[in-house]
Amino acid sequence: MSTQKLKEIIKQVLPDVETVICWQDGFDKLNVTPIFITSPEQADKVVWNPLCAQNLASYLPSQKKKVAVAVKGCDSRTIVQYMQEGLIDRDNVVIIGIPCKGVVSKKKVQKAIGNEPVEDVTFTDGSVKVKTPSGEKTFAIADVCPGKCASCQYPTPIVYDHLTSEAIKSDKPAESVYADVAELEGKTLEERKAYFLGQFDKCIRCYACRNACPMCVCQDSCIAETREPHWITQKLSLDEKLMFHMIHSLHLAGRCVECGECERVCPMEIPVAKLKKKINKEMRDLFDYTPGVNPEDKPPMYTFNVDEAKIKEHKL
Amino acid sequence: MAEKGYLPKEKIKEFVEALGKDATVFAPCLEGDTIVFREYAAGKEISLDRPANTPPKGAIYPQCETLLSFEFKKEADSPQKMDVELKVNTDFPKAVVFGGRPCDARGFTVIDRVFVNTDTADPYYKKRRENTTIVTKCCNGPVAGCFCVGVGGGPAVTEGSDVVMTEVDGGYYLEAVTDKGKAVMSLPMIQDGASYEAKAKQANEKATAAVRNPFPAGADKISGDLFDSGDFWGRVIDKCLSCGACTFLCPTCYCFNITDEQAITTGERIRSWDSCMFQHFTLETSGHNPRPVKHKRFRNRVGHKFYYYPEKYDGAIACTGCGRCIRYCPVSVDISEIVGYLRDPKADPKEWAAEKKDAKN
Amino acid sequence: MTGNENPYLPELATVTKVIEETPNIKSFQVVFNDAEKMKNFKFEPGQVGQLSVFGVGESTFVINSPPTRMEYLQFSVMKAGEVTTALHGIYEGDVIGVRAPLGNWFPYNDMKGKNILFIGGGIGLAPLRTLILYMLDNRADYKDITIIYGSRTPPDLCYKDELKEWEERSDVNLILTVDNEFPGWEKRTGFVPTVLKEEAPKADNTIAITCGPPIMIKFVLEGLAQLQFPEENIITTLEARMKCGIGLCGRCNLGHKYICKDGPVFSLKQLKELPSDE
Repeated sequence: MSTQKLKEIIKQVLPDVETVICWQDGFDKLNVTPIFITSPEQADKVVWNPLCAQNLASYLPSQKKKVAVAVKGCDSRTIVQYMQEGLIDRDNVVIIGIPCKGVVSKKKVQKAIGNEPVEDVTFTDGSVKVKTPSGEKTFAIADVCPGKCASCQYPTPIVYDHLTSEAIKSDKPAESVYADVAELEGKTLEERKAYFLGQFDKCIRCYACRNACPMCVCQDSCIAETREPHWITQKLSLDEKLMFHMIHSLHLAGRCVECGECERVCPMEIPVAKLKKKINKEMRDLFDYTPGVNPEDKPPMYTFNVDEAKIKEHKL
Repeated sequence: MAEKGYLPKEKIKEFVEALGKDATVFAPCLEGDTIVFREYAAGKEISLDRPANTPPKGAIYPQCETLLSFEFKKEADSPQKMDVELKVNTDFPKAVVFGGRPCDARGFTVIDRVFVNTDTADPYYKKRRENTTIVTKCCNGPVAGCFCVGVGGGPAVTEGSDVVMTEVDGGYYLEAVTDKGKAVMSLPMIQDGASYEAKAKQANEKATAAVRNPFPAGADKISGDLFDSGDFWGRVIDKCLSCGACTFLCPTCYCFNITDEQAITTGERIRSWDSCMFQHFTLETSGHNPRPVKHKRFRNRVGHKFYYYPEKYDGAIACTGCGRCIRYCPVSVDISEIVGYLRDPKADPKEWAAEKKDAKN
Repeated sequence: MTGNENPYLPELATVTKVIEETPNIKSFQVVFNDAEKMKNFKFEPGQVGQLSVFGVGESTFVINSPPTRMEYLQFSVMKAGEVTTALHGIYEGDVIGVRAPLGNWFPYNDMKGKNILFIGGGIGLAPLRTLILYMLDNRADYKDITIIYGSRTPPDLCYKDELKEWEERSDVNLILTVDNEFPGWEKRTGFVPTVLKEEAPKADNTIAITCGPPIMIKFVLEGLAQLQFPEENIITTLEARMKCGIGLCGRCNLGHKYICKDGPVFSLKQLKELPSDE
């Protein structure tokens, strides 16, 4: 059973590392929270269930010493991308890989139970049972999972030092990854504009999406807040907000590992990942490159070819 | 003498529109699955089912507002001399904040002490505050994370509100708290409510009993030793992403930034919400930063709400227990848990020391 | 505060003189455009003001001219960031904004009848200057006045003309120093804390007031402790990133005290009672 194996592996690697980053129970039954384990007793607090959505790999670049981290397949893509970009030292990370069949989206669960208070949450293979004051409701995880799980191509971590259970193969068609992008592409430009303007109007510039993003490296020197250069003001107008989101998304071109953290953490429930996925799709088509799947890959923005295979320069 | 009224659910829209005749109404509006406090306009759908994702703080203390505008002027016969003309606007329309919760209304009283009850009062906030009537909906019960009863509040307290509404029998029982509230109660669609009072009080008591109090009796003092322990803060806040969502969604957070924005010969000095969680909040031009690491910043945040502010304002706590920072934190930091540790009479910094640990940024 | 009900509204002021003190420090003498306001303006030594360069921003500087000399207000600015660089591009006749007076002031009444020891480094002399001049204008109220002032090099000394005047006065003991040997410099060398140690002033009935770079203050405080100065007799004036200047925006706090409003002048005793962020 995964959780037991996970705890054993944690206790096994603990002596060799500064800390082990994993999940534990959160403030209520629908929440888990990270735990930074430094003692075997703490390892017993670890949980593994479909609430463990958070991508713990994003803590890696700020760790100064050797650490171990628990990752799902999608999270491991972050580590692969870090390796491609030299943002971590692979020898300083012990990767505990957890094959995963899908997590739940807290927001989708809350909506499905009519936003009632949650009294208890239990999981059986493939489904989640939620107890509220008005009774119990059971949902298939596939019905309340975030978009990334419905199209998951990497259920088993791509890189790992330990695996908590048997590797799983993906049963989702590759075309499903950008199905939501295709849906938007089918709309007129005016419809798309109206959609995004309506969504970003809710943005409160809290920067949760930016700080949760594992690949965002600007962070404290963010264009949205700096005055050198002074491109974006502190006004809350739609054009300022769009400017920040556009620049952030462009910084992630060919780097976004589609971990979905940005959408998970947005308190205003804005589908911020869509922009990044669209750019990723373009990058995939232009450069035959998918971020975070092969440590030996070179990100296209890191290389320069005078003649790009799929970009037709105008002939002089 | 409190006025008592009753408003049937079907009349909510009419009520809001009546309030909007001579005031801007801020109400919780449903946009997709999100509830956001917006300036109400026809066509928007009001939802009172659960607390809005954002508090109504922005109605009286906008996230961005112009403190002054400036214009550069020159005379043709003395082009070397540049004159500046400043303009200020403190003329704000009447407003109503409709459908916030008691924790949201109490949030304004926290900001009042700083912005109004001082010899350097903020004229923008003060004017808007005077011009705003607050109509609060009491809670039927707690939501995830909230703990208002632990910080001197409650799901049906009247502090900070002009009118309070409690859900009863297909409608709402209304009670005026202030003179401003009495004016609201005189609107034609408000029926007499005396017969609903008992049921409303019962509902209020039931809700109050259901809210959690994270602080056991007797645990009301912050342990200075634990508060000063770098080990403690390093441990509890390792997971924080230093984003700022907590501060922007908090009904009591009021830290702000002042920046000048210029377009050739005109410009504005604007005041915008800032966050003590941002790395550059206290960054000085010399490069020195008194709070360079996130656990120092978080310590300051908790300290400000539960230690420094109460010290300055006779024990009043700068947190109303709304729970938003807990609900929406990307990593589920629980401020009530952390303050619980700090207030534990047996708090011991030694328990938090770990041999292999350094507080990460 | 300049009689404005709106504490965010700066008073327009014209720069009447720009003095180049050092390669990166300029002093600006300003006069309010509103003559009535200038006439009625009151402030205490140690109080600060926020100077506005409209379109760029505001920054905090001590009013380093004393209230006994009110023909103008003087501020000294070291070029460091966005606002200070913009200020260094301001010339005589230009208009800037001034929000003053802000903050608290030196408790000069409590210092009457005592010996005063000023210890300054670099631009740290600016806040000390206002009190020095005030005391010189009320000389009889104070006993011995000693000034230990140093900078990295002779060109970096501020208020060079005044330093000459103070040197020549018999009722002021001015001890100048620069960090290291410098061509043309015949006087003393050594870091300010070292000179303090060498001079070993008596703590008896003496108030020490110090301002300068953080590292200098650190060693000066250690030196004063070794000389047995009681903590309530050591005064300093602090710096922080400031925006509102009126204790509202929440950033310059030490515990529940705000450096812009409850400071910037603090005694060492008061500082030790506040929770530090260190």
